[in-house]
Amino acid sequence: MKMFKKLFERDEVHSADVARERLKLMLSQDRLQRQQPDFLPRLQKELVDVIRRYTQSSQDDIQISCHALPQRSQIEVNVSWPRNT
Amino acid sequence: MAKVVVITSGKGGVGKTTSCASIGTALAMQGFRTVLIDFDVGLRNLDLVMGCERRVVYDLINVLSGEAKLSQALIKDKRLDGLYMLPASQTRDKDALTLEGVEEIINELKEDFDYILCDSPAGIERGALLAMYFAEEAVIVTNPEVSSVRDSDRIIGLLDSKTRMAEQGQAVPSRLLITRYNPERVEQSEMMSVKDIEEILAIPLVGVVPESEAVLKASNQGIPVVHDQESDAGQAYSDMTARFLGEERDMRFAEIEKKGFFSRMFGGRR
Ligand SMILES: Nc1ncnc2c1ncn2[C@@H]1O[C@H](COP(=O)(O)OP(=O)(O)OP(=O)(O)O)[C@@H](O)[C@H]1O
Ligand SMILES: [Mg+2]
Repeated sequence: MKMFKKLFERDEVHSADVARERLKLMLSQDRLQRQQPDFLPRLQKELVDVIRRYTQSSQDDIQISCHALPQRSQIEVNVSWPRNT
Repeated sequence: MAKVVVITSGKGGVGKTTSCASIGTALAMQGFRTVLIDFDVGLRNLDLVMGCERRVVYDLINVLSGEAKLSQALIKDKRLDGLYMLPASQTRDKDALTLEGVEEIINELKEDFDYILCDSPAGIERGALLAMYFAEEAVIVTNPEVSSVRDSDRIIGLLDSKTRMAEQGQAVPSRLLITRYNPERVEQSEMMSVKDIEEILAIPLVGVVPESEAVLKASNQGIPVVHDQESDAGQAYSDMTARFLGEERDMRFAEIEKKGFFSRMFGGRR
């Protein structure tokens, strides 16, 4: 069935749907990025540097995320490191 | 007191200048004293679409740099009372274009006019930011095309953050104007529909202007297309302006016009 469809439909027939889906994805990324403060990348880097001065965290052990609350912005920092038992 | 309206888009060539000329003209037809400011320094286009290019003596930059008085630079429309434009300069450097300078001009114009329409240059850089900074209302011109819709979303983001109203914690009321629309291609699923774009951008729709030969013809002649009330685009701009002023109008030209047998046979003009 699918092959038939492919054979008989020209590519552009549903190009509007493709456009819509691509846009939705693009805009959700754009919008997320817009909400983040400009200093976030620098802050992230400095936080990672400071944390790793004290812990044996790898890059992946440090997660920094930014959230927009109704009245405030919030960053969440999650750090873990291997325990020397 | 005047209302400052920016006509903006992000992407270039979508119909900002065409729209600015026709909306301004339609507002003046309704009796509103209206002035159009061309912010596209370096390109200068609005005077061509308005058909007043030969009467440009001074421009926005001359006024900003103190070489001319605002009243000397304003060009009165030859067809309508109460319609003026302030041209951009073609060659001069853009450094004279400062926020303070623009503010002074806008404040002076506010004394005298009901509407101040700012024709934004393309892009999201300085010129576009200056054109939108003092806006109290925005018309976002968008084509049914991925890059245009994406840029419009960026511009909406800038209106929400980089304008005086935004700095005062208010949102600039923004409305969507879809231009170069082709309902036939939408029907064929080759083009995004009005509904698609409205949903994605999530701002209220103020008008749909179809792709139309009348627009080229009008700009060739230097007569804003809204003067051509025989044409689809001219009617669409009248409708759009009426909606902009709060009237309710059917959204013509968003659907395929079902032609009757005769007009199909003989290709009658809309
Ligand atoms: N509805 C329409 N139908 C057909 N052609 C159109 C339509 N609207 C605009 N155009 C054409 O598209 C071109 C670009 O229009 P216009 O100059 O108004 O766009 P713009 O957004 O101001 O461009 P820029 O970003 O360069 O300032 C022009 O040639 C114009 O005639
Ligand atoms: Mg233009």
